[in-house]
Amino acid sequence: MKNLFKQTSTLYLLLTLALSACTSVTIDQVKHVPSELKDGESIVVIGRRSGNDYETEPELISCIGKTLLKGNNPMNVIPEQEFVDRLYPWFEARTAPVHVWDLQRLLSFDDIAQIIDEYNVHYIVWIDGVTEKTRGGGSISCGLSPAGVSCFGFGTWDEKAEYEASVWDYRTKKLVGKVSSVADGTSYMPAIVIPIPLLAQVQSQACSAMANQLQSFFSSSQNQANE
Amino acid sequence: MATIKQHIKQLLKLASTLLLLGCLSCTSTLQVEGDFPRPVIHQLPLQVAVHYQDDFRRYRYVEKSEKRSKWEINIGNAQVALFDTVLPAMFENVVQVSNIGPQENADIDLFFEPYVEEFQYNMPRETKVNMFEVWIKYNMKVYDGQGLLIADWILTAYGKTPTAFMKSEENALNEAMIIALRDVGAGLSLKFSHIPEINSWLNKHGQLQ
Repeated sequence: MKNLFKQTSTLYLLLTLALSACTSVTIDQVKHVPSELKDGESIVVIGRRSGNDYETEPELISCIGKTLLKGNNPMNVIPEQEFVDRLYPWFEARTAPVHVWDLQRLLSFDDIAQIIDEYNVHYIVWIDGVTEKTRGGGSISCGLSPAGVSCFGFGTWDEKAEYEASVWDYRTKKLVGKVSSVADGTSYMPAIVIPIPLLAQVQSQACSAMANQLQSFFSSSQNQANE
Repeated sequence: MATIKQHIKQLLKLASTLLLLGCLSCTSTLQVEGDFPRPVIHQLPLQVAVHYQDDFRRYRYVEKSEKRSKWEINIGNAQVALFDTVLPAMFENVVQVSNIGPQENADIDLFFEPYVEEFQYNMPRETKVNMFEVWIKYNMKVYDGQGLLIADWILTAYGKTPTAFMKSEENALNEAMIIALRDVGAGLSLKFSHIPEINSWLNKHGQLQ
């Protein structure tokens, strides 16, 4: 009996590991000019919120920011909300600069330039994109039985996380380059008495892939620009 | 044995009736709360008096549609907090008054009176997008120091927030409301001098640089 329990647990564990690993990530990068973050300089990562039917998730921006703070090449990252609040109302969804040359217009206002200088910002990274469900299937039904609530069935759904980062050089007012990350994954939910969610970590995979690529984007060893 | 079964049946009936009655009268109440940053903008050297009508101070939206979930959204305090933060950044001196017209012991350049014309919201289940959305249509009125109407314009505010795992409807709607209020603060502070009638008044009084 004990052996049977062990075997079943192992089978569940293997199944969980095998099924929850179904995420693939594709990263792409284009760099127009060399970029390097010197000691004491900061970057700010901000989400684009001007899309009509989607919004770049604040959790993703915060995840990228936190990942950039760690690793072999940690950076000074200014928290998005702090930066947007200090510069209110210039970085709101409907007022934020859309093109890099719009920065020039903003900086004609001394108070704004002074705040950005206080943070010693060199690069502004705009993240645009969303994680969404692309397909769903299967069904799970739950009912009341003498033993309590029990469910039976199988559900599955696909998710796609597609993000693009545009890197602006605040000093030169130029677009330095772009990094894109596309993550696809399938989640499963078998239900035998209780539903067991086997979730594909699509958004977190997109976050770490994007953050790692941004770290190499700003590192001096990877300073070749694609002409 | 039969008596026990009957008791259980009665109890189940009672429980389901109570549950049904409870859900029919379910109303979600939201007291909108949040902080607003002070805008970084050029300040006009004007003495402005703001007048909040009681309807505005206590503005509350109650969903009356039978087809929608019952919501009661209290916006009054949050919108007064927003204007109390934005107006002092726009003008050198801001005071609150109980009526529009010449004031004793105060030399007022302009009177400002905001008013909510319309409020709408959307829940994710009502649209195809996984988004909580809020629209507020404000009517802004500006009077001169004598209480004569100078400008009267509509300013719309929009806020949206995506659904997120473990985020309650109340929190998500509150976030969308705060974004909408920030949007009206941005619209007011950046466009005030561009309203034609106000621009003309400012020009006439030598207030534009």
